[in-house]
Amino acid sequence: MSAHISSLLFHRKWILAVSLPLLIAAWWAFRPEKLWINQKVNEDAPFASSSAPQPLYTGRLQGEAHQTSGRATVFKAADGTQYLRLTDFSTSNGPDVHVLLGRSGDDNLKQEIVKGQLDSIELGSLKGNQGDQNYSLPVSANLQKYDAVVIYCERFHAVFGVAKLEQF
Amino acid sequence: MLSKVKVVLALAALAFTLGAQPSAGAQDTMKHEDGMKQNDGMKHEDGMKQEDNMKHGDMMPQANSGKALETGTFHGKVHSTSGRATIYRGEDGKLILRLTNFKTSNGPDVHVILVAAKDADDDANFLKSSTKRVELGKLKGNEGDQNYEVPTGTDLTKFQTVSIYCERFNANFGAAPLEKF
Repeated sequence: MSAHISSLLFHRKWILAVSLPLLIAAWWAFRPEKLWINQKVNEDAPFASSSAPQPLYTGRLQGEAHQTSGRATVFKAADGTQYLRLTDFSTSNGPDVHVLLGRSGDDNLKQEIVKGQLDSIELGSLKGNQGDQNYSLPVSANLQKYDAVVIYCERFHAVFGVAKLEQF
Repeated sequence: MLSKVKVVLALAALAFTLGAQPSAGAQDTMKHEDGMKQNDGMKHEDGMKQEDNMKHGDMMPQANSGKALETGTFHGKVHSTSGRATIYRGEDGKLILRLTNFKTSNGPDVHVILVAAKDADDDANFLKSSTKRVELGKLKGNEGDQNYEVPTGTDLTKFQTVSIYCERFNANFGAAPLEKF
C-alpha cells in the first residue's frame, strides 16, 4: 500500500518536473501579462526649439482633375498664428485657381467638377503653380472640421488636387 | 506530502489558465480594433508642364535647428499600431527618428527597424525574406513620443519604411512608409 502511494507521488513529481518548465517557457515566450501592461514614454522632440514654427497637420496632395503633387502642412508660429505651407508643390496652371480648406469627407471633393456648393474656407489665390508657398489661416479656422487642403479652380469649379490633413 | 504536491499542481494549473486566457481574449479584441486609415500618398509624375509656369519660393519663416526630412503614418491592423514617424536631421548632421501620437500593442522583444521596402504588410517576416534592415533599438514604450538614433550613413532613399518588429515571433506589428516632408 505504501509502495503504491510512493509510486503515485513519484509520478506526480514527474508531471510537475515537466510541466513547470514548460509553463515558464510559455510565459517567457508570450509574456501574456504585457497585454494589460502599457509602457508609456514621453520623450521631448530631439531638436526642441519653441521659437520655430511647429507642424500641426500634414498630408500629401493627390491630383483630381489635374495632376497635382506635393505636401501641404499646417504650421503654428511662435506667436500662435497658423499658416499653411505647400512644399514640393506642383499643379497645372489655370485661371482663377484658389487654395481652400475643405472637408475630407465631402463628396464634392471626390468628383473632378463640383456641382453643388463647396463647404470651404478660402485661403487666397494660388500664388504659383510650382514651388514652396505659405498661406495664412483665419484664426477661426476649425481644422478638425476642415481637414483637407483643396486646390480649386473657381472658374470651372474644378478640383485640381486634394490633401487630406493628418495630425503631425 | 501528497497534499503539498496537490497544492503546487493546483497553482500550476491556475497559472496556466491565467496565462492562456488573455492570449485567446486578445485575439478577439484585436479583430474588433480598427486599424489606422493609411495614407497612400501616391506620387504623381508631372508630365504636363506648361510653358508659363509661375514658380514661387516662400521661405520658411524661421529656420529650425532640426529639419524634418521624411514623415509617414503607421498602419497595422493585427496589432492596432498607429501614430506618426518622422526622420529629422540635426545641425550636426545626425539623423533621428521620432515617433509621435504613437500606439502599438505591447509584446516581447519588440524592436524599431528601418526596412528597404516601400511598405510592409501586417505580420510580414523580414528575417526569412531578403529585405535589408537597419536596427534602431528596442522599442522604448508601446505608447507615447520617443526618439531613436538612425546610424550615420543610412541611405534613406533605400530604407523607406519604419517597422515595429517583434523579433521573437518575426512579426511586423506596424509599418510607416516614409515620404518627403
